[in-house]
Amino acid sequence: MATIIIDCKTYEVPLGKNVLETCLNLGFDVPYFCWHPGLGSVGACRQCAVKVFKDADDKKGRLVMSCMEPVVHNQHLAVHDADTIDFRKQVIEWLMTNHPHDCAVCDEGGSCHLQDMTVMTGHHERRFTFNKRTYKNQDLGPFLNHEMNRCIQCYRCVRFYKDYAGGKDLDAYASKNNVYFGRAEDGVLENEFSGNLAEICPTGVFTDKTLKEHYTRKWDLTMSPSICQHCSVGCNTIAGERYGALRMIHNRFHEKINGYFLCDRGRFGYEFVNAENRIKQPSINGDVVERTELETRLEKIMKSAKVIGIGSPRASLQSNFALKTLVGEDNFYHGVSDHEHDLAELAVRILKDGPVRTPSTKEIEKSDAIFVLGEDLTNTAPIVALAVRQAVRQDLSGEPEKIHIQGWQDAARKNLQQQRKMPLYSATIHETKLDDICTSANYATPEDIARLGFAVAHCVDHNSPAPEHFPEALQVRARSIANGLLAAKNPTIISGAGCASSAVMKAAANVAIALHKNGIVVGLTYTMLECNSMGLTMIGGHRLSAAFNAVINGHADTLILLENDLFRHGSFAEVGDFLARCKNVIVLDHTKSDSTDRASVVIPAGTFAESDGIIVNNEGRAQRFFQVYESTESIQESWRWIINIGKTLQHPKLQTWQNFEDISKAMASEEPMLQNIDEVNPAVDFRIVGQRIPREPHRFSGRTSMHAHIQVSEQKPPTDDDSPLSYTMEGTRIQPPSAMIPFYWSPGWNSVQSVAKYQHEVGGSLKDGDSGIRLLEANAASSLVYFQGIPEAFVPLEHHLWIVPTYHIFGSEEMSAKSASIQKRIPTPYLLISAVDANIYHLKEQDIIKVSIANISYSFPIKINRNIPVGMAALPYGLCDAPINALPEWGIVETSPLTELHDYVRKTKVQH
Amino acid sequence: MQLTNRSKLVVKKEMNFWERMYLPAILGGVMITIRHLFRRKSTVKYPEKTREISSIWRGQHVLKRDDKGAERCTACGLCAVACPAEAITMTAAERKKGEENLYREEKYASTYEINMLRCIFCGLCEEACPKEAIFLTDRIVTTDYSRTGFVYGKDKLVEKVDDRIDVTKRQTLAVQEFKQQKQLSHNK
Amino acid sequence: MSETKTIQFSEETMATVQRLIKRYPEGRQKSALLPLLHIAQAEFDGWLSPAVMDYVAVILSIKPIEVYEVASFYTMYNLNPVGKCLIEVCQTGPCWSRGSDDIVEHFEKKLGIKVGETTSDGQFTLKTVECLGSCGTAPMLQCGGDFYENLTNDKVDTLIEKLRANGQRSTYMKDNRVM
Repeated sequence: MATIIIDCKTYEVPLGKNVLETCLNLGFDVPYFCWHPGLGSVGACRQCAVKVFKDADDKKGRLVMSCMEPVVHNQHLAVHDADTIDFRKQVIEWLMTNHPHDCAVCDEGGSCHLQDMTVMTGHHERRFTFNKRTYKNQDLGPFLNHEMNRCIQCYRCVRFYKDYAGGKDLDAYASKNNVYFGRAEDGVLENEFSGNLAEICPTGVFTDKTLKEHYTRKWDLTMSPSICQHCSVGCNTIAGERYGALRMIHNRFHEKINGYFLCDRGRFGYEFVNAENRIKQPSINGDVVERTELETRLEKIMKSAKVIGIGSPRASLQSNFALKTLVGEDNFYHGVSDHEHDLAELAVRILKDGPVRTPSTKEIEKSDAIFVLGEDLTNTAPIVALAVRQAVRQDLSGEPEKIHIQGWQDAARKNLQQQRKMPLYSATIHETKLDDICTSANYATPEDIARLGFAVAHCVDHNSPAPEHFPEALQVRARSIANGLLAAKNPTIISGAGCASSAVMKAAANVAIALHKNGIVVGLTYTMLECNSMGLTMIGGHRLSAAFNAVINGHADTLILLENDLFRHGSFAEVGDFLARCKNVIVLDHTKSDSTDRASVVIPAGTFAESDGIIVNNEGRAQRFFQVYESTESIQESWRWIINIGKTLQHPKLQTWQNFEDISKAMASEEPMLQNIDEVNPAVDFRIVGQRIPREPHRFSGRTSMHAHIQVSEQKPPTDDDSPLSYTMEGTRIQPPSAMIPFYWSPGWNSVQSVAKYQHEVGGSLKDGDSGIRLLEANAASSLVYFQGIPEAFVPLEHHLWIVPTYHIFGSEEMSAKSASIQKRIPTPYLLISAVDANIYHLKEQDIIKVSIANISYSFPIKINRNIPVGMAALPYGLCDAPINALPEWGIVETSPLTELHDYVRKTKVQH
Repeated sequence: MQLTNRSKLVVKKEMNFWERMYLPAILGGVMITIRHLFRRKSTVKYPEKTREISSIWRGQHVLKRDDKGAERCTACGLCAVACPAEAITMTAAERKKGEENLYREEKYASTYEINMLRCIFCGLCEEACPKEAIFLTDRIVTTDYSRTGFVYGKDKLVEKVDDRIDVTKRQTLAVQEFKQQKQLSHNK
Repeated sequence: MSETKTIQFSEETMATVQRLIKRYPEGRQKSALLPLLHIAQAEFDGWLSPAVMDYVAVILSIKPIEVYEVASFYTMYNLNPVGKCLIEVCQTGPCWSRGSDDIVEHFEKKLGIKVGETTSDGQFTLKTVECLGSCGTAPMLQCGGDFYENLTNDKVDTLIEKLRANGQRSTYMKDNRVM
């Protein structure tokens, strides 16, 4: 701790920070632009000037940039001194000389950091009377709008895009008064995190294009704390609504998970909520029916039927649990393929019973060595990929400390670090976006990835099983990976359900356990396929194939399908047959799918925006998302529909449930793995000084007119029986608990930068701590032993391709793929094969290959890849009708080969 | 509990026969009516005759077009946020190519509604408008048979290209003088 | 104005380029970008067309965008076609106080162009630049690798005649000085 004196008052502050951070922590409003808690300082904008005095007697002082000035003991500072105020005013006046006065048309207006800072510094009159410089804007694709004239040259965009996110196609051009930020030419910004530019840009150069389609000012949105539903990481988001449509997704700071950033799938995937193919009315056999009729019909169906329920990995715990209670534990099945079911169960078992802790994203960011097995993280868990990138960017060599360079001194640190990187080892089926920072990237089939993993584990601890006939070249590699991991203090092993191989996941577990036995604090992360895969597994239920058998054998005739398109989890023929065999198929879902098309009763469920629910992310953290708005249609949460059904049937338990909390309490008492699930967020009667937490900012406008065209008399706003939030602007202005922050705002801070006011210290955790409850902790007294069962090395098969799934951030996830902007980025289906195989079958890029998978013939245009192993092919998950859930599977190539495989291999061997 | 010393205790008095006949009271009432027949009228025969209004009278709003006939409003939302009655709402849209003659700037209000039943004609919307698009005029909001008729959309608010609404009439001298100061960027 | 040339360094130049790249550790070949751009500019008509920059990117195996970023930053790289003689008149304080404005004006009159323009015969381009470090001999200008100092209007006239008679392209690369 150090004692510093600011404006003649003494403060006790921690050392190792810069003056700007320290001032902000103490509540001083120091304006800034180029500094960002996630990016560090470069001192580019000159806005955060304060005065430093030599000692108590120094009356003159000197101006310094507070973001570049470390805090030292006995430092005398002035923030509100006449010179500094003048200087800051002058700087912003310079910055504003070229800034257009277009706040009225600018999307950033009302949540603009530049606006806030201009007001804060007191600059209000333009004295510069010359022409402003103007630029041509670029078309940057479906996500972002580009308006370069608004730029104030803070360089935050390129620093985030290039340095932080590893993007290659955004740069700064020219110099002096002509600096331009953009791509080399018009085109889509390629990086998966480009959407963050809309938040990181202090003004309106980069703005959300999807928001522009239905533009609403920040102050006019009804906002709720939400959880991203598009992968298993569970990033915290803010979802905003107006006029009954979801308008935008913003980042909601969670120190342990997403920090300040979201991926583009999470940010722009929300549009499925507003899509045309939403189910808005209940229907029976295709005819829209009234609620009362639906209830009587359901009663009739259910009374005389043998009912089974199929849950969903993308529905909340509440909905799944309600369904399980309705149909009974014996009749509840998981709506995932058996393969996926096993993988998820394996992950939960390893993380719950094993001795190794699963780390949060933040902890991955801090780990000093990472080994990725089989996962293409950028496409399956993008924010984890971003965390891995930060881990690799760390400089833990001790060099910076030696010459007193602090972590936040971004430019100096980078200069010193040069190409020095933390070790990242990866073994994937083909190249990934993280390869540019990999110490060693290995490409192999899932079997060989697993074998490499087992070999590494064996190198770390000789008690763990070693693969047989393991080639010496690979053994060397395994040894070097093992040495790298052993040299680390807190390495992280990352694997997941991505390559659909339990062997890979087991290998990852073995590596982690082996490191643990060596006394190393190791983390083990498994990424899952859907947002609530972990939660569904924790609830317990039978496999999907058992449901199929139950119907075939006549044990059941009626199916309740919860928020699930079964065709994504089983082969088309099998699922089609299953649904046809059921006498009644009742589907609760929010969006039309092949399954709803075959349903006799379709019930409109709410999406995350119209529901409350808890989901469990891959870290085992249960987090709650809050309803954003009440739908005007008959849409309501699945669990509420199920309670309704239970009431008409006079179900003993469901009858007693009224709201969200009742289900959560029942779940906590009945589900052994979810014991304190009702403590995920404060109870429904939680109030701050007797008041609810408002979903709307106090500036919310148009209340008496926005619904006037429907009904002039004002309607009573909906009340929320499920949470302590209110649907209006009425309520407390005191900061709510961190799980329930609907939006960030603080007087004078209208932009996203106001999150600093909600944090203990800028960039640190929220004042109330991290939200969510971790359900998976390492078991110190673990009896988990090393996994055996190492697969045989992969051997290519004549006329066959070993087809494994590959993933796309845009397209592989079901819901985001229905979002209009994401759809523009979804690649056309293809089959990825090696150059060798392409030669064997005499195919060029884009040629059609015919492959039969499980006796069904498919045609795909091929993409040739030089890294994918020979004899293997990768099929993008979710992009085509092929049975992705059955993968990996041998595909029989029906295109006739030009050369026989063994000939080819022999020939190439001779050449070598 | 006596809250004020001006309170009077009311006693319910029994009426006598005359009073119960009500005749003198009725005659008294009729007399008042007849007296008013010969007094000066306090109403005017609108719409044949209109009352004189103050020069700063704030009546029905208008959404102005610029001199080329393009709508000035950019749907920035400042009028709505300034409105103490929360009576204004709008949706914004992007101007497309070829619509430059319709909308002055790249964003415009695709819908713009004022709930006239709620409006208190305070003029804060006019004050907040950075684009000089909304003005309160010397016109009176007309009556209507239904409540929904009081929700004014763009059809009623935006001035017709060939029938401009003069908003200078109801502006005070001070405002008009201010507008003359062309060196202020605001007035360019 | 420039004859179309296939974008390909001559063998001799390529040898120089390779020598330059070898100066830097493996994987850091991007470090040779600045001299390479000078060479490219000298070789291809005195300016860097997008095609030329892409060619340099290929040689260094970096992305074109990385070349654009650097080339657009420095004023000595021309991103638009220039005349054979690029006349760069210093206009920073010392030169200005010694009458650089008059020199520029004289050039404009004499050549019939404004600053930033090229004569119709493609012979001269006039440009003003910041300090070239020859303040003791102000006003001064630079044409290719040569300084012309203590300028007067007469000296300018002679210079124009001389350059016109010379007819050669001005380049910073004279005597391989950049190397």
